Amino acid sequence: MKTQPDILVIDDDKDLVETIRVVLESQGYEVRRAYNGKEGRLQIEKKIPDLIILDVMMSTDTEGFDLAYKLKQSKDYKTIPILMLTSFPSSGMVEKGPEKFQHIMGEEWPVTEFLEKPVNPDDLIAVIEEVLAEKKE
Amino acid sequence: MAEGHELIKAQLFFRKELMERVQWFIRLRWTAAAAGLVAVWIAYILGFPIAVTPVTALLLFCALYNTGFSFLLRTLQSSGTSDVRHYVVFAHAQFALDFLALFGIIFFTGGLFSPVLIFIFFHIMLTGILLEPLSCYIYSAVVLLAAGLMIFLQVTRVLPPGPPLLEHPFLHAQIRFADMAAAYGIFAAAVVVTAYLITTLKISLRTKGRELLSVSRQLDLSNAKLMALYGMVKEMHMCSDLQALADSAARNAAIIMGVKACSIKLLDEQRRNLRFVSTYGLSEDYVSKGPIDIEKSLVNLRVVRGDKISIGRVDETYAFQYPEDIVKENISSLICLPLRAEKMITGVFCIYSGEADFFTQQDVDFFSLMADLTALGIENIKTQENKTWFLRKAAHQLRSPLNATHSMLDTLLRQYQGPLNSSQKGVLERCMTRISLLAEMVGDLLKIGIKRADIRRPDSTVVDVQKKLKEVAGLYQPRAYEKNIGFNLQIDDAVPGVKADPQLFDNLFSNLISNAVKYTNPGGRVDIALGVENESHILFEVSDTGIGIPEQDLTNIFTEFYRSENARAYTEKGTGLGLVIVKEVMDALGGTVTVESPAGKGARFFCRFPAAQ
Repeated sequence: MKTQPDILVIDDDKDLVETIRVVLESQGYEVRRAYNGKEGRLQIEKKIPDLIILDVMMSTDTEGFDLAYKLKQSKDYKTIPILMLTSFPSSGMVEKGPEKFQHIMGEEWPVTEFLEKPVNPDDLIAVIEEVLAEKKE
Repeated sequence: MAEGHELIKAQLFFRKELMERVQWFIRLRWTAAAAGLVAVWIAYILGFPIAVTPVTALLLFCALYNTGFSFLLRTLQSSGTSDVRHYVVFAHAQFALDFLALFGIIFFTGGLFSPVLIFIFFHIMLTGILLEPLSCYIYSAVVLLAAGLMIFLQVTRVLPPGPPLLEHPFLHAQIRFADMAAAYGIFAAAVVVTAYLITTLKISLRTKGRELLSVSRQLDLSNAKLMALYGMVKEMHMCSDLQALADSAARNAAIIMGVKACSIKLLDEQRRNLRFVSTYGLSEDYVSKGPIDIEKSLVNLRVVRGDKISIGRVDETYAFQYPEDIVKENISSLICLPLRAEKMITGVFCIYSGEADFFTQQDVDFFSLMADLTALGIENIKTQENKTWFLRKAAHQLRSPLNATHSMLDTLLRQYQGPLNSSQKGVLERCMTRISLLAEMVGDLLKIGIKRADIRRPDSTVVDVQKKLKEVAGLYQPRAYEKNIGFNLQIDDAVPGVKADPQLFDNLFSNLISNAVKYTNPGGRVDIALGVENESHILFEVSDTGIGIPEQDLTNIFTEFYRSENARAYTEKGTGLGLVIVKEVMDALGGTVTVESPAGKGARFFCRFPAAQ
């Protein structure tokens, strides 16, 4: 039997994680949940997911980025596609890039795609399908 | 430093005075010699018994040496010498020759009874005016000795009496020694009194001059300092963050106070350590020592407790945490002042000089002013930063539950959680609308708040306004087509980039374009134009054929939460903040927004803003 793609959702907003879970499971994806960067990291180490949905601001403004950059630096995890959820684009985070990470990747983002909250579920599914299809190629 | 400066300035001043007088003196001598020659020859023609040959010769001699002086003065001036002694020697040479010539003339025109004798007084006055008092008295004494000698020689007939200019009974009478002594005594008294009067007057004038000079020097200095302080305040006002402000204050303080180095340290939260925020002219080694423990540094401890400290000789003081480093930095004297915001001391501002006893009480007072202004600037920046931080945090906190609710409703509405009946769907759709509006309103409020808190932040990025408008208009074009509204975008290629926060243009374009599309009925049209109005201004214009704005509402539409009656009737979707944001954007850009709405013809918004930001 063909296994369904495994998606890890990391966000400190449990309601949002639940909502995404409902949407993704309705499409037949396996969904794992984590509510902070550390838990997310443990989940990844347990089993490498096919895709990660990651929130930028959790307990700190850049917790999501912290994790994303760490993953990109790791040999085993750097190929995992990351969808980054941002809640407040006008904070300048997305336009200017987090300065504290400039030295790691320069202008390059550690993220496959950005999605602005509130995320339209139809769009979310479309983006996930696209990213997973690209990954297969 | 100050005294040296004053001395040089005083010397310059008196050199100028002497130079001008020496020149004037030469001109005067030409007149005197010419007048003398004319007088002698008139007297001769009129038949007065005058020794015309020697007197004429003496006057010509006078003209001759005056020519020499005139030439010498020009050489002296072109040499550009600043040494006042050259001019003093020059003046002495003139007086010596003048007295010589005058005595010759007096001798040949009747000695003590010569009518020319009176000119002696003018010479005494001139020496008094031009030279030091002592020189004046010496000349007076020489004159008296010379006159006495001349009279003695004449009376004793060692010298023949000169041919008298005027017939004088004394010359024919038997001359008595006592009479001559009396006449000489009166003459001598007159000479001494003249010398005394002139030198006294001169001294008092000179003292006044010196006082004036010193006052004017102080005024100059104060003025320069105040101007520099003004520049410093202006520069600090432009600073957007603490570091930039502290750097600016440190640099300016060092320059204005004329010192080699300065530092700004701020207290940490525990008020135990002072951390260097900015330094000027101090070595890396000195600064990299890390925070200063105020308990170990008596000077800093006292300043933090509110004392103003000025130390004239650092080597005699032991009140530092790192005394050897202060010596290594070649610091000899310093002033350390508290940075005081309201009642609270937040840090220490110090200036350092390599010279011992460099600072005066006035320096301490002036530097206090500078420290107070810096403290105010620092407080102001901190307040701004706190406000912005609070708003960003609030933005996140408010938006998270809204976004989550929105997403949850969305999954219900899109039936990811099972099918809905039409009445359930209707209620959920209304919920969605209200939630969206609430999210929008929160977003708008935060935009205004953050913009207000951030208003002083200078912008370093140049925004490609043309590209930005294309992007934003592109977002609204589909909606316009959906509503069957004509959507026309015109962009002039000549519109330059503008130095500003890109977000400003996002807000400006999106608010005006979305309004135009929103309030225009199907079949209408929206025209957007971006162009160059004149050399200095860009014009952004949005016009629609929509519902327009009633005349009585035109003045209110830029007020928070205001929505005109027809707009409210048209749609309940609207925060009443969009145009407020537009107005704020124009304020931030230094531009203006105006609106026209002829009855029944839609609305036209004009935004004019400077091209060079």
